[in-house]
Amino acid sequence: MNRTLATRLSRLAQYGLLGALFVFLATPMLVIVVFSFDANRFPTIPWGGFSLEWHRAILADPMIRDAFLNSVLVGLGTAVLATALGFAAAYLDFRYRFRLKLPFILLVAVPPAVPATILGMAMLAFLSRIGLFGRLETVMACHVAIATSFAMAIIRLRLNDLSRDLEPAAWNLGASPLSALIHVVLPFCRPALIASFFLSAAVSFDEFLIAWFVGGVHETLPVRILNLLQGQVNPKINAIGAVVLVISVALVLLAQRFTGVRAGRRPNPDPGE
Amino acid sequence: MTAASVTTRASARWRWFRMPGPRLAGSPKVLPAVLGLPVLLWQAVFFAAPLVFLVIVTFWQVKAFRLEPAFVLDNWTRILFSTTFQRALVHTIAVAGTTTVLALLIAFPAAYTIAFRLNARARDLAVAFLIVPVFSSYMLRIYAWQIVLSPEGIINALAGAVGIGPLPLLGGAVSLQVGLLTLTLPIAMLILVFAMAGIDRTLIEAAENLGCRRARVIAHVILPSLRPAIALTATTSFLLAFGDYISPLFMTGSKPPTLSILIVDTVKSGSQWPRASVIGVSMLVMLALVLGLGQWLARGRAARKEAAR
Repeated sequence: MNRTLATRLSRLAQYGLLGALFVFLATPMLVIVVFSFDANRFPTIPWGGFSLEWHRAILADPMIRDAFLNSVLVGLGTAVLATALGFAAAYLDFRYRFRLKLPFILLVAVPPAVPATILGMAMLAFLSRIGLFGRLETVMACHVAIATSFAMAIIRLRLNDLSRDLEPAAWNLGASPLSALIHVVLPFCRPALIASFFLSAAVSFDEFLIAWFVGGVHETLPVRILNLLQGQVNPKINAIGAVVLVISVALVLLAQRFTGVRAGRRPNPDPGE
Repeated sequence: MTAASVTTRASARWRWFRMPGPRLAGSPKVLPAVLGLPVLLWQAVFFAAPLVFLVIVTFWQVKAFRLEPAFVLDNWTRILFSTTFQRALVHTIAVAGTTTVLALLIAFPAAYTIAFRLNARARDLAVAFLIVPVFSSYMLRIYAWQIVLSPEGIINALAGAVGIGPLPLLGGAVSLQVGLLTLTLPIAMLILVFAMAGIDRTLIEAAENLGCRRARVIAHVILPSLRPAIALTATTSFLLAFGDYISPLFMTGSKPPTLSILIVDTVKSGSQWPRASVIGVSMLVMLALVLGLGQWLARGRAARKEAAR
């Protein structure tokens, strides 16, 4: 009797902690969205009533529109390039053995682990010396260097499930390595390619430190927000924030929809090994 | 079948792909080179070269606000022996260490509940819910915490309504940890949930059949097999907290400064690139040491077992 009571209390505590944690993670997102519709200038309670004023204000702000357009361009470019490069790296890792393979894979995998402050400063110092500072293409190129890591990881996981005999079978039937790659491997990887497209776009859409360092006058949306945040309290921030949040959450959810990441159903689910 | 007909069939297939052409792709070494070189070049120019250049710049000089190639150790001695840097280093390590411990203490039981108590459907939902914040708008979420915790913010408005005076929630160590945990907890939990889901259930059942209570199962079956994942969680949390710029900026107003804040300030205030680079390189060395320590901790038990055999 005593023991079942203890078990029940322990279960209750476990679920309680988990619930509290999810509230902790959800609160900031909800706050942004809810207060973007608040009529008050300063976001606090009591709520000032429903208003679309700030959403309208950001539509009318040319700097925000430009920043949004920049973000979309950079995000799309990053998504395409990072997915292509990530696929190439993942396929090389899957199919070939070569010298210096580990350094090659690390060169692709490591960038997200380097603090963005340091990486942004290093990119600015180096790229400005070779004349690439202050261009939108440079922001995109730097985002690709980071996002390729995630793309490679997603596609490599998918390749794990590709039978090693499938390609040799195609070769025996007369397909060249390239043709087997295009007709066998690429279709098999399609869900992972779509997932890495959306995830790379999300990574780019949220990145602000590198974009801030190397972008110069070309602000992406997160950089615009960072600049607004460092100024006065501005009720537009919540409205932009809500838009950015909805877009990036949508991108991540779309990516997840195509990876089918599930705990406990994959043969080797620990990402760290 | 003649050689000619084979060629025709091959070229028919190849009509779709003008580049790089059948003869090129036929050679065994060309395809990997065509796939690998763009990746290699891209990562070399936009990732490796900037970091190498960062190390080189630490030996350069600034004369009349211009960066000039040189080989001086002056930047290193000035930064490493300055009390500002030393204080910021100690502060950053203390903050990141605290975040790591808190993240492990909170994430472990929560991940345990997700991995062992929830059914498959709920577990997938929980995992999806954890992946979203990893990739979405960390800066905005910190700004939201600022709204919640500020003197005129939501919590203080609620507290004021029941007669509790404005609490100084923002700007201290607690708010900084709130920010850093917002960053680290989802990732820490994901690593642990995946690792726990990968544990062989028959081991746990065997221990239970042998009469082990849950606490003993956790201590003798679950914890040992999670050793690498726990090391990975700890190093990841430390790495993220150590390098973060946004939480120190918005949650404590940069006071006291962390190393990331110091870097940005050094870059902004005049063209002291070499000194900012020294701070950056020192941080990378520090992080490499922490990663090495994590690896060593993860391997610890396996290595000892090997030695015993």
